[in-house]
Amino acid sequence: MKDLLTSLAKKSGADYCELRLEDSWQTSVAFSGKDLENVQESHLFGGNVRVAVDGCWGFVTFNNLQDIAPRVKEAVTNARAASRHAKDHSILAPAQPVQVEVRLDAKLDPRRVALKDKIELFAGYNEKMLSHPGVTSSNVRYFDKITRLTYANSEGTWVDRDEIDSGMGGTAISRQGGITGRATCGQGGRDGFERFRNMDLQFEEAAQNAVETAKAPVIQGGTYTVVCDPHLAGVFVHEAFGHLSEGDNVADDPRMQEVLKLGRKFGENYLNIWDTGLDAGLRGFLQYDDEGVPTEKTWLIKDGVLVGRLHSRETAGRMNEKPTGNARAISYRFPPIPRMRNTCIGNGPHGSFNDLIKDIKLGVYALDAYGGQTNGELFTFTAGQAFMIRDGKVAERVRDVTLGGNVFDTLRNITGIAGDYHVQDTAGGCGKGGQMPLPVSHGSPHIKIKDVVIGGQ
Amino acid sequence: MPPLATEKLTRNADAYETFHSEGRSLRVMFENDRLTEIRQGENSGLAIRAVKHGKIGFSYSSKQDEVEAVAEAALRMTPFGKSYDFQFASPAKSPHVSVFDERCGKLDAEKLVLLCGAVKDAIKSIAPDATAECSLGGGIGRTRILTSTGQECVENESSYGWFVSAKISEEGNFLSTYRMRSGNRMIPDAEVLQGAREAAQEYLVARKPAPLKPGSYPVLFAPSAVSDLLLPIAVSINGLNIAKKTSPFVEGLGQKLFDQRLTILDDPFHEEGPSGGLYDGEGIVTQKRPIVENGVLKSFVHSLSTAKQAGHAPTGNAARSVSSLPMPGTHNVIMSPGTDDLDALYQRANGGLCIAQLIGTFTSNFLAGQVSGNVSLGYLVQDGRRVGRVKNCALNVNAFDVLKSRILGISKQREWVGSELLPWVLVDGVQISAR
Repeated sequence: MKDLLTSLAKKSGADYCELRLEDSWQTSVAFSGKDLENVQESHLFGGNVRVAVDGCWGFVTFNNLQDIAPRVKEAVTNARAASRHAKDHSILAPAQPVQVEVRLDAKLDPRRVALKDKIELFAGYNEKMLSHPGVTSSNVRYFDKITRLTYANSEGTWVDRDEIDSGMGGTAISRQGGITGRATCGQGGRDGFERFRNMDLQFEEAAQNAVETAKAPVIQGGTYTVVCDPHLAGVFVHEAFGHLSEGDNVADDPRMQEVLKLGRKFGENYLNIWDTGLDAGLRGFLQYDDEGVPTEKTWLIKDGVLVGRLHSRETAGRMNEKPTGNARAISYRFPPIPRMRNTCIGNGPHGSFNDLIKDIKLGVYALDAYGGQTNGELFTFTAGQAFMIRDGKVAERVRDVTLGGNVFDTLRNITGIAGDYHVQDTAGGCGKGGQMPLPVSHGSPHIKIKDVVIGGQ
Repeated sequence: MPPLATEKLTRNADAYETFHSEGRSLRVMFENDRLTEIRQGENSGLAIRAVKHGKIGFSYSSKQDEVEAVAEAALRMTPFGKSYDFQFASPAKSPHVSVFDERCGKLDAEKLVLLCGAVKDAIKSIAPDATAECSLGGGIGRTRILTSTGQECVENESSYGWFVSAKISEEGNFLSTYRMRSGNRMIPDAEVLQGAREAAQEYLVARKPAPLKPGSYPVLFAPSAVSDLLLPIAVSINGLNIAKKTSPFVEGLGQKLFDQRLTILDDPFHEEGPSGGLYDGEGIVTQKRPIVENGVLKSFVHSLSTAKQAGHAPTGNAARSVSSLPMPGTHNVIMSPGTDDLDALYQRANGGLCIAQLIGTFTSNFLAGQVSGNVSLGYLVQDGRRVGRVKNCALNVNAFDVLKSRILGISKQREWVGSELLPWVLVDGVQISAR
């Protein structure tokens, strides 16, 4: 295979050519209420060829290996067609060719756990939620995916890597008097099955939180000082700043380059943000990206100052910067684009959670997240749980707490960062350009933000 | 397409369903004023549901020639599967004629590139400081379903879609105004260019900032925001939530839950709709049906499994891809027009807002009716027109309440939002949080 792909890449006739094959085996288990809704083992095989002619791209996908040579020709034809009309041509940033094989290093390969044992484990968690007084429904979803990715390009890079991705999420639902409360828990990672064991406590807590949320009042809408737990703060840094740092937002837009000029002050001196592919075991762990570039820890904000961004070879080339190993594609059906890996806010100088809240007269403590969204400047996300903070103490629970704001103002409005950094992977993922869900991670300590708009009654 | 069922399946399964799908597509993309990519794809796959000893196993592969392996995997899954308490589709032919436009499979990449260039020029001629984005493309495909209970249906599908945007990202102002449309046949270039001009004209209005204080306002929801308002209904009529009894509408059929003016159809045969079809993902003949009629809840959307669990008749609403089990979903959602002219609604929204885009609503608690999110693109309305963009504001409404008792007017005019054809809806007393 190595010889075939390398030969096709080198003889394509294009300025640059890369081929990617993907062979995945996925196991899924899903409970819905008391029912085992779905159990499946499935196979995904496909590939793509991406070529550049005069700096313009042609991209073709296929499902059958015997189609590969004609697909290379089609990609070259499309790239040539594009180059006849394009006025602005890309240059790939240089990358040192590598020839590597990456094999699995899992504590417990999920393939070595019998399907019936997986089902029994998750059935137990599901039952834990359903048997909780007040819980009216539930769901538990698990997947593991073992993939062999084979990549070759015309510059001599060859990467043959195996990877595991796995995740599990549970949701407890409580319906009381026409009001639905829900709460979630989850786990995910690339280091095997062991992390899914011994999670009874998390599922019990989710059940209890769902019941209490259904009884809680809707928050009064307004502007509050908000303290986010590490999970929600991680979602915040991912949505609010991570996406903004992706090179394709910046590379072609001079006005964005002005907004995101390196050296610009974005926050207080204690604000540090990075994105890394080096944290083994996390879902955002990645040794080589989907252009065969080794990953790294990329600083984005250091001491409050913008110092970097996340690049593919194309966006790095357009900005005359260095590739950072962030070119990722969710599957062979898509070309690689700049995406995050594990995006983090570093520990700050403001002590513990209690230290953060002690001076807040009226505020909100927001935990967990159902997800978030940004349009580059504005962001929004919904807290999984929330409590009012009154006179420096956590007070009553509230529900339907959706936080929104302006990315730039909010980064400046981070007035406290505790020292309790934590990463909690889940079964979810990141969406961009139709590519969803890409495995990513995010980590943070508790953070305090002033003037956050919360939609409410 | 390869054989639908092998001896392994017919001999070893008590019942089975095979689902084949294949297609190809071409798309051209312009971003930030430049041609970025010509993307061509083919996709194929095979999924099998097999029944053994009263239980269902499921498996799929993206390789259509792996029929044997997929059949074996599906059979292997049966001891763990759900009970086969319904029956796969029986023989039935749709009386309707499928829409298939073969031109969608013969797209010329260079012609699409030239159209993208014309879109850019159209946007720049109205909004010179905007950057243009454009994505154009389409494709054809075929699905084939065979069941051991006698149904065999083949359906050819075609699709074409466009997206155009005028945008700017600058200090203190990230803005994108867009138009988009997808359908089951080719769409004239003139419509794409008209969409580009409309996006550019809206961009000019949105460039002007407008102040907003927190408070209660009349809000004119544009069709794309009406789509967000309808999400709690979509989730609550879904057979999954009916079967599990997690929907607030479980006992709601025949009850007047909404405003008299609210009528919503599910129409798989709408001539302009992108999500039509003669058969659903389980081979059941599809139907045009009212979901809400004059405010009365008329029906749910079911797959075979959820219909059985809920004790209802199947509705032909199983949606699926090769890699997923059939799940209930709507086809084309058609909301009836109102009697108000859009200009008159703008007049009545005086001092209030027009909301064109919301972000983050997908995280809302839909089963509770909640729709919450950030106003990504909203306008202050004065003297019957949008005078400028409001920012840094959010809403959190109960859509069940809004659609029952707070509708002030519904427009005669409608627009497609994905597979939904929706009017503008003016709502009274919407609480807006703002900074």
